[in-house]
Amino acid sequence: MLRRSLMIHPADSVVCVLEDAKKGDTVRPPDGAEVTLLEDIEFAHKVCIKDLKKGDPVYKYGEEIGYMLTDAPKGTWIHNHNMGCDRGKK
Amino acid sequence: MGHTFVGYRRPDGTVGTRNYLAVIPSVFCANTTAQKIAAQIPGAVALTHCVGCSQVGLDLELTARTLKSMGCHPNAGAVLVIGLGCERFDPQELYDAVKATGKPVAKFVIQEEGGVTNTVARAVEAGREFAWQLALQQRVECPLGELMVATKCGGTDATSGLAANPAVGNMVDKVIAEGGSAILSELNELLGTEKYLAKRAVNPQVAQKIYDAVYEIEDVLRGGLDFSLPANRNHLISRGNFDGGVSSVVEKALGGVHKSGTAPFQDVLQYAVPPHKDQKGLFLMDYESQDGEVVTGMIGCGSQIVAFTTGRGHATGHPLAPVLKITGNYKTYSSMRECFDFDASGIISGEKTMEELGDELLDLVIRVASGEQTAAERLGGTELFCVARRHGYHRKDPEELRRHARECGECD
Repeated sequence: MLRRSLMIHPADSVVCVLEDAKKGDTVRPPDGAEVTLLEDIEFAHKVCIKDLKKGDPVYKYGEEIGYMLTDAPKGTWIHNHNMGCDRGKK
Repeated sequence: MGHTFVGYRRPDGTVGTRNYLAVIPSVFCANTTAQKIAAQIPGAVALTHCVGCSQVGLDLELTARTLKSMGCHPNAGAVLVIGLGCERFDPQELYDAVKATGKPVAKFVIQEEGGVTNTVARAVEAGREFAWQLALQQRVECPLGELMVATKCGGTDATSGLAANPAVGNMVDKVIAEGGSAILSELNELLGTEKYLAKRAVNPQVAQKIYDAVYEIEDVLRGGLDFSLPANRNHLISRGNFDGGVSSVVEKALGGVHKSGTAPFQDVLQYAVPPHKDQKGLFLMDYESQDGEVVTGMIGCGSQIVAFTTGRGHATGHPLAPVLKITGNYKTYSSMRECFDFDASGIISGEKTMEELGDELLDLVIRVASGEQTAAERLGGTELFCVARRHGYHRKDPEELRRHARECGECD
């Protein structure tokens, strides 16, 4: 099932889902192909719309919000379990 | 023709949105006495706190500055200062600062009055006289330009950055366009946005102040972390933020800055120090820490109304200033309806434009500035009155902090 989502900036690597979504549901970024969700994703949480490798920066609002701690194929839920951020710590 | 609101014009020219008799203890030891006094006078609020003694340096200065700024605030029509007598923050200093504004003020010191009972009796007698004077004061029409809006988020989720914060930013732009002012703060949650903020500075000096303020806050945070403790003791954002879909402090910051709209930053203000009388527009207040300390500092800078966004829901209020609760999360708005003043979720559902939300929010700000009660006022919340602390931190040379930022790739 296609779920509503929001891509805030064209450079972003993630979109926010605007309703609770299930594994197998899809989101459609403004100018891209549909991405199938690899897991359940809650309202307002993020899903990556491109394949990300460990160490890759994650972009939202057109800015780097953190970096990947693991590889993540597109459709993966992106959150603090697989994304890190060192600001204020190092 | 610009917008107007009706407020209380004070002898020093400032304008209040409320007309309280503020009962302010100069030290925590006088808290219960202050509460007993306020309970017996209609329209009185007790500003109780946990500081005023056994403090040194900047920590004691922040206490003095905060308590004086509350007493001098235009939402306090009259003030009762209640001291113990031996505290480090001298109640006479608080009394003198309030007296200089021209508003009615009296001081009672428990050790001089001979105990709690005598102090309460004498302060209530004086306070009832003040309350009578306040009851006779009328609101007068004032230009919107007299208003300073504090902006704050708490219990943030991912909708805050998408809906509630941009709606507040749109309203703030409209207030500033009519000559008014607004404040953004909580620098600990602006990490990663310093380049964006500095670009909006009115001049290079203010841009440098913004960088230096953010780098210093980052240094304070770094110094406070202890990686020998459980991991969740070192998180820079809350459990609720994570649950709401915010994954890092930078992601939170990039959503948080939208509260400030698009106007240029005129200056970086110190905690609870109002801008110079001829300065108007958008300001950044240099302070980190929790919601109450930040809100109290912005009110201390002169804000007479607070626009507070929350995605997870919030149940707080401030004893001196109305705090508007605004959310972009329709689930939270529905489940905690009594705690909210404004629903900004229409921008997510596609039912409203940001311009429409900004207009509606401005209308609400004007009504509340003119006396309409907020949800927080109806529920009686006062916990956002908190005095900022700063101990155990030794300021570093700004150049050392700039060098560290460059090494981390955070500075050009």
